[in-house]
Parts: sequence; C-alpha cells; structure tokens
Amino acid sequence: MKVVGITTQQEVFVGSRTRNLRINEFLIIEDPNQGDLIGEVVEAKTFNRYIPLNIAGDFVDNSVIESLRTLGYNIDEETIFIGKVRLLNEALYPVLTGSDIRLPAFYEVKDLMIKSKKEDGLVIGVIRNTDDMAADMDQEYKNLLNTYEENGLQPQREIPYIMDVRSMHQYPHIGVFGGSGSGKSFGLRVVLEELMKQSIPTIVLDPHFEMDFSEKASYLQGDSFDFEDRFKCLQVGFHVGVKFQDLSAQDLKNLLDAASTLTDAMNNVVDILFRRRDSFYSFYNKLNMLMEAQEEGTVEKIDNRIKDAATDEERKAWAERKELYLSYDKTCPHSSVRGIVWRLKRLDNDGIFSKDIREIEEGLQRGKLMVIQGNTRILQVFSTYLLNNLYHKRREYKDAQYKKTTADYFPPFIVVTDEAHNFAPKGYDSPSKSIIKEISQEGRKYGAFLILATQRPTLLDETITAQLNTKFIFRTVRASDIQTIKEETDLTMEETRRLPYLRTGDVFISSASMGRTIFARIRAAISSSPHTENPFDELKSKGKEDDKMFMEIIENKLPINDTDLLHLISEIEKEFSITFTIDTLEDRLKEMTQKGFLSKEDTIFGYRYKKLS
Amino acid sequence: MILIYSIHSDLKEKIKDLNQMLQDKYRGIFSKDREFLRDFIRQYIGQIETMKRLDNRHLALYEAKGGIVGVDGSTNTKGGAFPHFVQVFQGLAKSTLKDQEPVFMADIYSPLFSDSLKNPLEKDEKVQTEKKNRLLSDIEVKVALESIKRHKPYGILMDGSLIRYNIYSGDLWAELRQVCEEEGIILVGVIKDIKTSTIGDMLEEVYPDLSINAYDRELLFGILDYGEIIYIKDEVSKKYEYEYSSVFMRSSIAPTVIGMDIIDSQKGHIEEMSRLVYTLTPENSRGVPLWLDLVDKEVKISDTIMEGLMEKYMDRDIYERFFIPERARRN
Ligand SMILES: Nc1ncnc2c1ncn2[C@@H]1O[C@H](COP(=O)(O)OP(=O)(O)OP(=O)(O)O)[C@@H](O)[C@H]1O
Ligand SMILES: [Mg+2]
Repeated sequence: MKVVGITTQQEVFVGSRTRNLRINEFLIIEDPNQGDLIGEVVEAKTFNRYIPLNIAGDFVDNSVIESLRTLGYNIDEETIFIGKVRLLNEALYPVLTGSDIRLPAFYEVKDLMIKSKKEDGLVIGVIRNTDDMAADMDQEYKNLLNTYEENGLQPQREIPYIMDVRSMHQYPHIGVFGGSGSGKSFGLRVVLEELMKQSIPTIVLDPHFEMDFSEKASYLQGDSFDFEDRFKCLQVGFHVGVKFQDLSAQDLKNLLDAASTLTDAMNNVVDILFRRRDSFYSFYNKLNMLMEAQEEGTVEKIDNRIKDAATDEERKAWAERKELYLSYDKTCPHSSVRGIVWRLKRLDNDGIFSKDIREIEEGLQRGKLMVIQGNTRILQVFSTYLLNNLYHKRREYKDAQYKKTTADYFPPFIVVTDEAHNFAPKGYDSPSKSIIKEISQEGRKYGAFLILATQRPTLLDETITAQLNTKFIFRTVRASDIQTIKEETDLTMEETRRLPYLRTGDVFISSASMGRTIFARIRAAISSSPHTENPFDELKSKGKEDDKMFMEIIENKLPINDTDLLHLISEIEKEFSITFTIDTLEDRLKEMTQKGFLSKEDTIFGYRYKKLS
Repeated sequence: MILIYSIHSDLKEKIKDLNQMLQDKYRGIFSKDREFLRDFIRQYIGQIETMKRLDNRHLALYEAKGGIVGVDGSTNTKGGAFPHFVQVFQGLAKSTLKDQEPVFMADIYSPLFSDSLKNPLEKDEKVQTEKKNRLLSDIEVKVALESIKRHKPYGILMDGSLIRYNIYSGDLWAELRQVCEEEGIILVGVIKDIKTSTIGDMLEEVYPDLSINAYDRELLFGILDYGEIIYIKDEVSKKYEYEYSSVFMRSSIAPTVIGMDIIDSQKGHIEEMSRLVYTLTPENSRGVPLWLDLVDKEVKISDTIMEGLMEKYMDRDIYERFFIPERARRN
C-alpha cells in the first residue's frame, strides 16, 4: 500500500494491489519527512483499468476473457484498490506521494478509540472495521459483547465502543436519529441496559410499551445479566399519576393544556377558580356547579330553582350555585368553564389523578430505571408534570448546596424518550417542550441529562437539537432528515452520502467528546422487546382463531342453503349475540369454502354450503 | 466537430484531389468483383481456409506448458530539435500465467550524451529514426530473451512483423531465434498494419494492365470473411528469404486483415498459432489479440508519465536548460 496521486495536508489517496480498503479503517502513513501520520479511510473504491473492457474503443466479448482465463490470466486480478484517507490531524506539509502505508497496531490507536474503562463506561457496541487493529488489543477489551448479524450471534472481533458516561457532565445530551426500522429502539435498549448496569437513575418515556427488560433475548444462551430488580415499568393512570393536591395552578394549566390546548379565557378561569390544596373533587365540583348555574342563564331562574326545590338539600345546593354565579359569571364565561370541565374529565378518565409519582421518585433515589408507559397523549401530559417536578427537586437540592443551605437529596438523572418530536415539536408550543428545553439548556448544571430519539429530526425543536452534543445517526432515507442531519452534525459529505445505505444497527456516532465521528455497530441486546412477534404472523394467527370461532358457530347449522341466510342470522344473534348482515355472512361462507372448510354445491334451490368431510 | 467552413478552400481542394487520384488509380482493381480477387489469391497466393477457435482444453494445455508471453515496446521523446531531446524506451514481456512476474526493461537515449555529436551525419533525421527503431527493437528482443530465461513459455507473441527485428536487431535477434528453436518455444509476430505488397506484385505479373503498385492492406480490405485465413505460399512470400512463413487473416468483424509471421522451422505450428490469435481477438475489435492490446497498454509511456519522470528526477535547472524547447515556454 502506498500514497498515490496528488496529496494535501488533510487528505491523501492510497492505492493497493492486494488489499481491499474499508471505510473507517485506520491507516498509518509513513511519511519519510514528517514521520508516522494517522488517517481514516473515508471513501473506498476499486478500479480495474480493463473493466469495462473497452480497449482503444473496442468492447471485448466474454469468450476472449474466458480464453485468457484458461491461459492463466484472470482479468479481475488487475483490480486495484483505492482509498481516500483523511488525516486525523492536519500534517505540516502535504504528505509525500509514494509514502508507505501500514496498518496500525492497537496501542497506536488506543487513545483514539477508547476513552473510558469498561467499568465506568457504557459498552454500546463495536467500532466497525477495526478487526485488524483489535488483534493485539489488551485482554480487558476483549469479549465484552456480542453482535447480532445476518448470520446470527457473533463474538466480538473489533474494538469496543465504550461511551464515557462521565463526559456527559461536559457533553450532556444525546440525540438518536434514524428512519423506521433502522435500529433506534434497539440502540436505546442497549444504552438503557448499560445505564442499568451502572445504576444510573433514569426515566424512560415509553409510548410504544416496548422498554421492558424482563425477557432475555432469544439468541442468547446460558446465563446473562438479570435486569429484574434494576427497572420498573409503570403505566400512567394505573401505577402512577398526578396527586391533585400537590398541583400548582401552573401545573394544572399545563396538564389541561396537554389534554387539549387552553384558550386565554380558560387559563383565566383556572387562575380565578383554582385554590392551592383543592382536591380534584372540590375543584371539579366548583366548576360543575358554576356551569349548571350558567346554564340556567339568569339570577331569577336560579332563584326559581331555589324556591321550587323539593328537598332541603337541593335548596342548599342551588343556593351555593347562585353564590358561585354571582361571584364568577362575569369573569368566567360559560364556554370556558365548560372547556375546563371537559378537559378535567378527560384527564380523570385516563386515571391521571388517581395515583402519584412517589414510586418513581423512590426508584430514582435507588438508582433504578423507571419506565413510564402510556399512549403519546397521556405521556405528554404526565411527563410535563413529572419532569417539572423531578427537575425542580434536583434543582432545589443543587441550589441549596450552592447556597450552603439544606434540602432533601435528589439524585442526578437521565431522561430518555423515543418519538421525541412529539414531546418537543418544532414550530409550535407544547407544555412538555418547555421543560425539555429547560433541561436541554440548563440541565448540565444540575445533573439532568437527555437522551432523545426520533425518526424525524426535522420535526424536533431546533434549539433542543442544537443542545444534543452526541448524536447517534442510524440509517436515514428521507431527504429532509438527511438535510437536517447535515446541518446539525459534523458528518462529512462522504458519511452523509452513506446514510441511506446503512445496515440496521450500524450507526454513526458523532460526539463532541470523541472529537470525530465513529462508525459503530450496536451490540446485541441482552434483553428483548416484548413485541417481537412479526405483525404478519400475528395477523395470521388471529385469522386462524377467527376461522375456528366461525366454524364453531355454524357447526350444527350445516348444511346451509343460501335461501336460509336471514333465518340463520337471527339464530346466531340469539345464541351468540353476534350480528351478521346477509353480505358479511355470505362473504364469510365463501371465504371458508375457499379455505377448504366448507364445500358449496349448486342445487335447484340455489347454493348450499356443506361441511367438507 | 471540425468547422469545415473555416478551413482554407485550397486545402479542401487538395484533399478532394487526393481522393480523386486514389479513385482513379484503383478503379481497375476496385471494379473487379470480390470473387475475382479471391480466385486470384487461391490460384497465385495461397489457400483460403476458415479457422476454428481453439477450445478451452487446448488453451488449458498451453497454460500447462508455460503460457503465452506477449511482447511489446514503447518509446517517448521529450524535448525539442536535435540534439536537445531525450528518448526513453520500455519493453515488456508479460505472461498469461499469473505467478510469472512481467519482465520490464528500460533504456534511454539522448544525442547530448553520445558520440553522435561528433558525427555530422547523426544530425540526419533518417539516422535518428533508425537509431530509435534499433533501440526499441533491441529492448523488445531483450525482454523476450529474459522471459524465456525466467519462465520458458509455450509461445511468444511479438507485436509487429518479425522482419523488423532482422533489420534492427541482427545478432540479438538471431540469438532469440536460436534459443526458441532449441527450446521449442514458438515464436510469432502479429502484424496489425501489414505493409507488404505480395498480392499487388503478383497481380502486376499476371495482369500487366493492372499495374498499380497496390499494397496488400488495401487489396485485402473486405476480401476475406470473418475467420478466414490465407496461408501464403513460400514461393511468393517476400519473407521467405528471411526464413519466415506468413499468413493473412481476418480475425474480427472489422474488414481489415492482419498478418502473422512464424519462424520457418516452426511452420508446423502455423495453424494453431493462427487459431490462437483468432481466439484471443474480440470480434468487435480492430483485429488485434486482446493479450497484445493489454501488453501495449501496460508498456506505454504516456506524455504525463514522461513529464512527471523528468520533473521529478531531473534538476529543474538541467531540465529547462536542455529539454524545454522555446515554443513550449511561450504558453
Ligand atoms: N444492532 C442491532 N443488531 C441486531 N439487530 C438489530 C439491531 N438494531 C436493530 N435490530 C433489529 O432491527 C429491527 C428494527 O429495529 P428497531 O425496532 O430498533 O427500529 P427503529 O429504528 O426503532 O424503528 P421505528 O422508528 O420504526 O421504531 C428490530 O427487529 C431489531 O431486532
Ligand atoms: Mg422504534
């Protein structure tokens, strides 16, 4: 291998007759004047001056090539391998053309590749195309992980990528970008496994109900790390919720807004009617009574209600309504009050007010990973409250420390979310966005960190994106997202061009702490996602169940004449309370005939379906 | 595209004239039909036959017996008029066998550094051309000899007529020829531009009114079918006195015909070697076996390389003083 062609201080071309070069491989250029220079292959090409065989303008037919091959000459062997190599550090002078090239030994690249001990870092994967250098790697970096490839589970052959957690103090936030199926969720899972191993307090917002770590990955054999007591899945409204009495007016407004956007007038209604320490019931009741009074329309009508009341109790209730009406009707328009009532009911139906966040806090205190599950809308509502709450607890503790006063201990923590563009969308406001933005801008000071994953970086708030110091970039096909990635990361032209072609699980890690982009493969996860069933398998097995049920229903009605269908429908309705129309029943019968459960014969009375024996 | 209208009309006229003259000169023979000439060839020059390609079993045998070596040379000149120029020569003998390293040799010539300066005759362009041809021919023969010494191939394909080596490399060539005969290495020359006038001379003899000094090249144009070969009778061959046997053949779809020489003592191999050349020639090419084309490509010293070499290995001062002609400086 030699340096060929025109060189600069930053880049050279390398040619080899025998060794194919790989992208992201490291090479050492032995410049006779400047000494050893280290560079990374950024583009690799092969070239055969005879293929396509167009010599002096003539195209060569295969039979001649074949004849030459028989004579011992294989034209493919004329291939030369060319790589574009970018120097890691600019050289003082352009590299000398003709300089020899060799592969580095491990110790020569160790500091470039490994920034952290495995005990203090997150062992996330391997650095691709480093197998040659890994051959003489220190024992402590070997056999740390497996990768999962097309041909199954593979032992580690390359240098491990160990993310330095401690550097998060300096470079606090991580973005995980990539198109559908590119390996984001899998990558997040691996990161979370590592966070659990390190007992780092973590909150995961899990809109897909996929971040469960109790199942071992099917491809692993033998013992593996058990995460059982390191994480907990909690569903909003079922295990965790908001304690109404603890809410401030602002919290409440955020929650209501997250349920559905609040108007100014509605915000006003909350400010006027909400009292600190109101219970859900007392607040709801107050609103409801005011609304009922407003529905009467005038004081006279309410007075009439009081007068005509059948019981004492009813009279008292209407008197209360009148009171409210007199105090608030002017400032709280009926439509706004109704809007608040509706939103409150919606939140209550989701169960949000039935629980609290104590369990989450305790989990974090004990260094656990707390997975908060719920659909996207509920998570938006809940996370707004939750993150505000936790962040401020941590902040109070740190501020107290700075001011040398005392406050309850609250640990630093990491917030992880998939579909981050739903929590912090670009272009419009959402309640969860403001707290995420706050953490992105000031979290570093207080030890609150973000890991935000999204399919659509273009839709993620740009101030937040700008704060993500480390970015994992998986396969991305959409042009607008590639554009965003170009703007938001220091990926080179060559790397950006490769984005649409990355294999699932291969990732560019562009990190300020490394100072350059690393091409890595995420390791095989130890745990597995609870929904690994292929949706098409699911459809199939669901279909089979349906077929079985249908056959049970019509079993003893067979044979069925097509003139009897109406009668049959009412029978089925009576016996099984399942309703068919003539069309759906007929369709179903035809389908079962096609599938070979029934046979259909033509009689003088029309068709008849019989059981196939 | 050339802008025809911008060319002086005088020049246009001259070219039209040339065309007319050629038309007039060859009218007699061009007006005869193809069969006339083919009959004439059969009767006076040699048998026309149709070749078959060699099959792979046959080729595999060649491979087993040492492969086929292609030999070619190339030259390039840098500088201006006599004596301020350098000429470099490069010869290559490349075997089809993968494990046999190609044999490269190089030579260099500049009138500035030889006795030629003392000899007034050397200034003559003809003498210079002769010198160049000799050096080129020598280096080709030398690489061929070296490749025999190292690899002992089954056969050697030289690029061009074998006569050329007799003329320019006398003793060296005799040595190569002898080694090949002793070791049973088949030696042939493949001629893409045939320069003989065997058929024209015979035409003149038989039909004095067709006396036009035509060369074989133009006469044979389109006369043979793809894959046909003429084995030239020794009596009429111009090369017989040099002890070569020769053929003409149409080895590709292009209507031009190429030639091949073989040393006389190996005449028994003339058919198989012709078939080898035919087999190795792509049908859509101009008729040259691919192997020789590859060798040609590899041995070629391009202007860029020539300049690069001079600039890199010659002191700037020397280079400019001796070898950069005034006209090159002007741009
Ligand atoms: N590093 C990896 N090694 C092996 N398999 C992987 C890897 N990463 C992802 N996969 C597999 O590829 C599939 C898709 O990955 P994943 O679910 O992580 O995609 P995603 O980027 O989250 O997609 P979406 O945006 O649609 O959620 C999964 O079935 C997973 O098993
Ligand atoms: Mg996903």
